[in-house]
Amino acid sequence: MKKFIIISLLTVVSLPMLACAGIGTFNYYLFNLYDNDDFAYRMERITTNNWKVYMGLGEDDWFWFSEEKVTEVAKQKNDALMQSYVHQLARYLQVCSDVQGDQWNYPTKEELAKRRTTLEAIRAYANTKLRTRLRSQHGLLYMRANMLLGNHAENVKFWEETASQYINSVYKDMMQNIYAGALYKTGRTEDGVNIFVEQGDYRSLMTIYYKRRSYAAINDVYNANPKARVLPFLLQDFVNNAQEADDAVKYESFGGKLFIRDITKDEAKQMIALCKRAVSEQKTDAPAMWQTAQAWLEYMFADKKQALSDIQKAVTMEGSERMQDCARVIRLYIEASMRKQDTDFDNWAGAEMQWLYNKGNRANPKPNTSYFERSSYYDNAFERIVQQVMADKYQTTRPEVTVALYKVQGFYGCQEYLDTTTIANVQQYEAYLTGAAKTEMDRFLKNAIRQQPQQDEADADNEYNDLIGTKYLRLCQWDKAIEWLSKVPIAFYQNRGYALYAALRRTSVEPWIERQFLRDAEYYSEGARRLYESPKLVFAKQMQQMEYGMNMLQGKSRYQRCYDLAVRYAQVNFSGDCWFIMRDAKSPGWDEVRPNEVDLAARALDYLREAAQTTDPQLKERALFALSYGELQPKGLWASLEWNSEKADYDRIPQRNSSQWKAFASLIDFERQNPAGIARYVSRCDEYDTFLKAYRK
Amino acid sequence: MLCVTVLVLAVLLMSGCQKESQSLPESNAVYYWRTDLRLNSTERVFLKLYNINKVYCRYFDVVMSEGEPKPNATITFSDSLPEGVEIIPTVYITEDCMHRWHKGLAEKLVRRIRQMNETNDIAGVREIQIDCDYTAKSRRTYYEFLDSVRSAWGGRVSTTIRLHQLSMSAPRVDYGVLMIYNTGDPNKFDERNPILDLRDVKPYLRHLSDYPLPLAAAYPVFSWLRTIHAVNVEHTVEADEILRVKHAVEQERPTLSAAIITYHLDKDNINRYKPETYEEIYHH
Repeated sequence: MKKFIIISLLTVVSLPMLACAGIGTFNYYLFNLYDNDDFAYRMERITTNNWKVYMGLGEDDWFWFSEEKVTEVAKQKNDALMQSYVHQLARYLQVCSDVQGDQWNYPTKEELAKRRTTLEAIRAYANTKLRTRLRSQHGLLYMRANMLLGNHAENVKFWEETASQYINSVYKDMMQNIYAGALYKTGRTEDGVNIFVEQGDYRSLMTIYYKRRSYAAINDVYNANPKARVLPFLLQDFVNNAQEADDAVKYESFGGKLFIRDITKDEAKQMIALCKRAVSEQKTDAPAMWQTAQAWLEYMFADKKQALSDIQKAVTMEGSERMQDCARVIRLYIEASMRKQDTDFDNWAGAEMQWLYNKGNRANPKPNTSYFERSSYYDNAFERIVQQVMADKYQTTRPEVTVALYKVQGFYGCQEYLDTTTIANVQQYEAYLTGAAKTEMDRFLKNAIRQQPQQDEADADNEYNDLIGTKYLRLCQWDKAIEWLSKVPIAFYQNRGYALYAALRRTSVEPWIERQFLRDAEYYSEGARRLYESPKLVFAKQMQQMEYGMNMLQGKSRYQRCYDLAVRYAQVNFSGDCWFIMRDAKSPGWDEVRPNEVDLAARALDYLREAAQTTDPQLKERALFALSYGELQPKGLWASLEWNSEKADYDRIPQRNSSQWKAFASLIDFERQNPAGIARYVSRCDEYDTFLKAYRK
Repeated sequence: MLCVTVLVLAVLLMSGCQKESQSLPESNAVYYWRTDLRLNSTERVFLKLYNINKVYCRYFDVVMSEGEPKPNATITFSDSLPEGVEIIPTVYITEDCMHRWHKGLAEKLVRRIRQMNETNDIAGVREIQIDCDYTAKSRRTYYEFLDSVRSAWGGRVSTTIRLHQLSMSAPRVDYGVLMIYNTGDPNKFDERNPILDLRDVKPYLRHLSDYPLPLAAAYPVFSWLRTIHAVNVEHTVEADEILRVKHAVEQERPTLSAAIITYHLDKDNINRYKPETYEEIYHH
């Protein structure tokens, strides 16, 4: 029944770590005209696969070029030609590694001369093997050596007269790439650039155009040739840099992207004008590209209404399939941002989201692919649209749709939301998933979630019951908690990441006197983590019994009960050793009281204050000592630490208005008149001792 | 009474001598901070016109990479300096390299500088400079590292001193270059110029007269281009502000007028200020 609510506790456990690492802003580039399959990655992937085939390795085997290992296989195959090729290739790769330049051993003159001699020898060797069965590999080696020697004209000649006649292969592609570079180096820039564009070698294009990416530079390229093949690359670069500048303002951009250029509003407006001109002059093959760029720039920097009007035209214009997809993606972003949410919107946006989802890899996950291969343009655009447009749109009107969108996106916030929201909201989300779809958006979301890997129904039920039961625990509604937690078997908790803590820690231990650290041996002992009862249920029943009986108690027994309850509240607070009762993870320094939960530390303090009213000196001393416990302080510690650069150490600055200062002061007042003398746990407390010295000053 | 007076006079004279000894020989210098040593005609004319006799040339950076300090962005020598201009190899080390001791780092660094000189036919190098924005956390390690550099190099070693480092003890090097720039908070660019503002320099002036290391002064002539709220903002320092700061620091420590450096040699920086401004900056 509840199988659609998949709350992976492992995912939740990792949340605080994600928080520490920082979360990206989902500012993927929407104006994207090429696949992620960059030339260099593609070549590396194909050559690696070729080596694997030669070595007899499987597709999933790991391979890293090693002269020794390939030679070993070549010897087994009596392949002398491969042996000599691999040896020369290794020599070439060593030279490449040496010329990187950033190593501690800077080359001597002799080493530089030796490098040159080595390259010349490799070149001469390769030249003798151009009629063998490995002619493509040797041709590539020949061109590579020439490239490092600066023999670019020779490479141009070799390609045009010889290598261009070779059969198609990855080696031929790489030779053509070197040829393109040689054309550039010998002054035939446009010819070289066209090859780089065709090959999708964006790194080389960036090298050539790094300082020619401004509006003015792109305008010059357009004026010279409105159909120049480099224009999509330059336009994409410009628009994405503009988006980066815009995101930096809105989302405090995460950074880390390479080659970002600063785009000003004025420059963006000049580019808008160029886009308009390109469409109206009709000299381009790709008006959809120019119109989309114009609309997206208008949306970011100028007139949003105009942007909506222009993007609606863009989706009907001519261009490559990718350009038309790009127009449709940006239309979805712009139109969804500008329309109000109602049934019409849900039907339109649901159909568009369905289209975008189907285009991406989420709908058709490919096994054994890298992160970059998995996250296609469509997947990234889907994420951006969910995060920056759709989630907010539904947050107030239909929060269950926002959660479902997060779920389809695979966003961790889905789990976080369910973990922290009200019980009613969780139940509303469950009802949404199991109820009938009313709009296209509902249909899309429910289908997409249904297609995701499903949990076993019993596991899903257990997680759901535990979630609701834990939410009642956090509200200290013991009856309700017991009702839900009773449905969860012990085996469920046995598989939780916190089972070891649950098995070894007790909520009855006074945290201010004894910390329940685990011994190393216990971490690795399977027996130590064996649970014999449900920790949450036991706790709920214990608290129910202890609190409901409170009214019957008076005098010393009531004060003692207050103290015992305070111990338990302090233990299950996020700072206590038994945090696992209320939460799935602990993250020191980040944890705090969250929405929809009782402040357990405050409740512990209330009980301790009442316990401290007792006339029993031993209990009073314990209660006063507990009130000064650092982990419970609502208004700060008795001293703050400030760095002293003179001493190169921290100074303790007393905070006389802090709650801990006052609590320690009360304890000292009590101890001055304590007939039984100071208890050992107080006198041995280093924090108390440090405070005492400061207090006496 | 006479004895006391004589003693006081002697102490005053001695301290006066000490201050005198903190003065460096007069020199005009520039930093060169690009990755290819290649001077254009404007830059060559500048060196000649302002009698620049030293170029602090960034040879490479040292950055943490895979847990170890590694060289980065090594300079290429496509050109050489005019005759008579001394080159001072300068290495910028990121602060995190000094969070712990890296055995042999100083020796590797010195060996690399020597080899770069030899391979590129750079002769007569007498001094090297190490640049690091050390903090209280990294100071001790950095100073010990400088000791090792001195020992490995054998010649003169200088280091950069940022204003906030004036309140710390001084490193054991031949002299320091006081970096009188990047004084402000880049986030409060609308309140103060982040490159240089006398109001930001003022609080540090009290440490200047007693700082126990001979100091050269480095002034900013560069610009800093960045995008803030989708608008390009170019930070540059007004000539008057540079001169006001120069006047203030020299008033506090007159010997700072002896050795003067500008950061950094570049055609655009040269053209940014009038010749009179450069003459004033290099005025001893």
